[in-house]
Amino acid sequence: MNGTDVQFAICGSAGDGTIAAGDILKRTMALMGYKVIAFDIYPAEIRGFGKCISRVRVTTEQAYSLKHQSDVLMSLNDAHAIPHVGEVRDFGAVIYDNAPIARLPEGGHVSAHIRPMQLPYGVSFRSISDRATGNARGRNIVALGYLAGLYGMPAEAFHQTIANKFATKPQAVTDANVRAFEAGYEAAIGTFKLDDVVMGSPLHRADGARAVMMTGNGAVVRGLMDAGIDCYFGYPITPATTIMERLAVEMPRRGGRMLQTEDEISAIAATIGAGYAGARSATATSGPGLALMAEMLGLGVMAEVPSVVIVSQRGGPSTGMPTKTEQSDLNMAVFGGAGDARRIVLAPTNVEGCYRCAGLAFELAEKFQTPVIVLLDLYLSNRYETVIPPKENPFEPKQATGPQGPVFRRFELTESGVSPRAVPGQAGGVHTITGLEHNELGRPSDQPDNHVAMSAKRYRKLEPATRYPGLTTIKRFGAAGKVDIGILGWGSTFGEILEAMFEAENEGISCSAMKVVMLSPLPVDELEAFFADCRVVLVPELNHEGQLATLVSGTLGRPVVRLPRATGAPMRVDEILAEVRRLAAETAAAAE
Amino acid sequence: MNELLKPVYLEEKLEEIRADGHQDYRSRSLPTWCPGCGYFSMAEGFTLALKKLGRSAEEVVVVSGIGCASRFPFFVNTYGFHTLHGRTLPVATGVKQANDALTVVAVGGDGDAFAIGGGHIPHAARRNVDITYLVFDNGIYGLTKGQTSPTSVLGFRTSTSPYENGDEPLNPLMMLLAYRASWVGQAYAGHPHHLADMIAEAIAHRGFSYLHILSPCVTFDKTTRTYRNLNMQVRDLPSGYDRTDLAAAMGEAMKVDHPALGVFYEESRPTLADVMDETARKAGLSPVPAGGE
Repeated sequence: MNGTDVQFAICGSAGDGTIAAGDILKRTMALMGYKVIAFDIYPAEIRGFGKCISRVRVTTEQAYSLKHQSDVLMSLNDAHAIPHVGEVRDFGAVIYDNAPIARLPEGGHVSAHIRPMQLPYGVSFRSISDRATGNARGRNIVALGYLAGLYGMPAEAFHQTIANKFATKPQAVTDANVRAFEAGYEAAIGTFKLDDVVMGSPLHRADGARAVMMTGNGAVVRGLMDAGIDCYFGYPITPATTIMERLAVEMPRRGGRMLQTEDEISAIAATIGAGYAGARSATATSGPGLALMAEMLGLGVMAEVPSVVIVSQRGGPSTGMPTKTEQSDLNMAVFGGAGDARRIVLAPTNVEGCYRCAGLAFELAEKFQTPVIVLLDLYLSNRYETVIPPKENPFEPKQATGPQGPVFRRFELTESGVSPRAVPGQAGGVHTITGLEHNELGRPSDQPDNHVAMSAKRYRKLEPATRYPGLTTIKRFGAAGKVDIGILGWGSTFGEILEAMFEAENEGISCSAMKVVMLSPLPVDELEAFFADCRVVLVPELNHEGQLATLVSGTLGRPVVRLPRATGAPMRVDEILAEVRRLAAETAAAAE
Repeated sequence: MNELLKPVYLEEKLEEIRADGHQDYRSRSLPTWCPGCGYFSMAEGFTLALKKLGRSAEEVVVVSGIGCASRFPFFVNTYGFHTLHGRTLPVATGVKQANDALTVVAVGGDGDAFAIGGGHIPHAARRNVDITYLVFDNGIYGLTKGQTSPTSVLGFRTSTSPYENGDEPLNPLMMLLAYRASWVGQAYAGHPHHLADMIAEAIAHRGFSYLHILSPCVTFDKTTRTYRNLNMQVRDLPSGYDRTDLAAAMGEAMKVDHPALGVFYEESRPTLADVMDETARKAGLSPVPAGGE
């Protein structure tokens, strides 16, 4: 990649201000016009000694994921940072506090672990903070100032971000933080820079559009709001809670209603109740909450009620690893629940996709009269990316409802499978819906022919969803036509897949990548064409057994190579690349 | 009360019933309940109440769970949602949140309400969602052919308590009073006209109204909650009873051997919709809080 491409990693203990320093860094970089991808890893405990890492990748050209190597590691806690020294590339930098508060045992200093090709910068963050502000609490901001000074970043931009961050606090707090930043910055001036990390100037878009920085969950909120959400019902669960928290701020301002319910069962029940009454309604949860919602989702399918369920996956099963990422709820999203209950499942692959999928989920839910699940994971929910907001609201307003004809058949067996819909309050549309199998009028019926016809209707109506206008349900990247290696992916992992695919292409490997956004119903024709073009298809994903691999190979009846990884951390680009190289060598050997 | 105890002969009243018009609220589907079931009084009471209140069919939504009582939406000519076992109240809350103008009536039996759905009752009550909850309590699971329910009496023999039920029955009225339902009443299926008046009053109440309806299961309970027994047990609330006195209501609710019929408790306080409106007002006045995007 030409231009700037620098990844910073800040590592500390919970309470050190690690995430705060990373936050100021990434916001300043975005403010300056760089493209930013950032992701924080933090423990489930609020205080205590858990490890926090904030990684910020700053580029001038589009990047798709974090890099597996960082250029700069800044340690606020040596015990936590030592295992991460290895991720710093050769000629990269390690910045650390050379006078930490506690006496560390032999080998406890990060400086003892720096390899000869990595460049160390030992600075006394604590004493600088003491001198500048009268206490040691500002050492994270001192460290940040040092980093900014070392790489020649403009201090004014940081001042602005610091002021924004502490806008709700007394002015003295902002002032102290600015003093701490300045003191760190000055300490860096005149430091002899040894590493080869270079920050070039940011590029500005020709159209003058300003990028904003957003998380996946933030983008979901924007999408729901722009699509005109009327009602939201939710129950707190990591990593979906921030969606409810933001909607609690924004919905009342726009006439919407946010209600925190007593559990996930009531959240989805009320969402479906509001959907029945004609509202655009949604809920958000994680895997354990989705498990509780399974029965109600089945009712949504059976009674054909529009609803939107945002699911942000985390490590499972059961309570699992609440603050770690994983893609292991695909099976439950696509198949969970009783009976033949097909629904629509969308899995965006980046922050912008979260916005589109969340908004379009309302359109799909109404057009196809079904629950729509939007499947994120913690890595996508919490990841920051710079995105350009759309100039115009891209979403359609609510569809008109109302009875048609003298006898209202709510579940009329139409060619498309979609029946006329009326909502309570509309004259002439009075009907009852039920989770029992029912006839065209909605009356309970367990006749064999009726069950066959109604099941077929509920499947048939979803078929056109894979070609829904304005929605990328599946897309191929890289070389067109026949290739040796195809990499198939979904969700947050697709960024790493793209980075690996581009690197493999640079190495001369014949390869191509495909993302599947619509997991149910599957865009089978496009998948068939991709498999026909690839000699081998590799499926990297963040779970133990390879859930997308099983879904696709089972649906198409074709073999795949699985690359399942469930460590709790995002997939590594080099891991995918290593597997692509291995497969490329194998196919080359087989061809000879 | 004596007036209510007089038998009603449909033959004599047929013309009067036809002319009255409340039958318009009935659907073409015939109830699937057993002959003699107390739930028939629900169909009659509910339609009479809608007629009395003058609500049009399309502005009423009946939400039910699963069980004999929950089949009710099919038998009336209003909007209806026959949902899942125990989930009546959260679905009804969602319907009401979507459209304040609707009259939302939740209906269920004792198993639906107090066993699988018990966790939702405190929250619908404390939020004062402006809906009406009619629970037809027959002390047994009828649709699954006669098992013990949370309101089955001690010593009751069913297919799942063949050696007699040993679980203390819960007291629905005390439960609802404790959770501060803003209207709590009790009626009896054997007094259908009183029941109709009570349903009308419950629907007219602004806020969460809970009506407990004692109702015999003629098929699976031949010994305890029978018409014969209930006719002798039920009584009026004492004269001079103050329906705004929560402690007095609790006291009456404790007298389970002789259940009183009437309005136990009533209070006026903001509904969920009022709170939502107030939240919107506050949100409009305050600056956008920082954080997230």
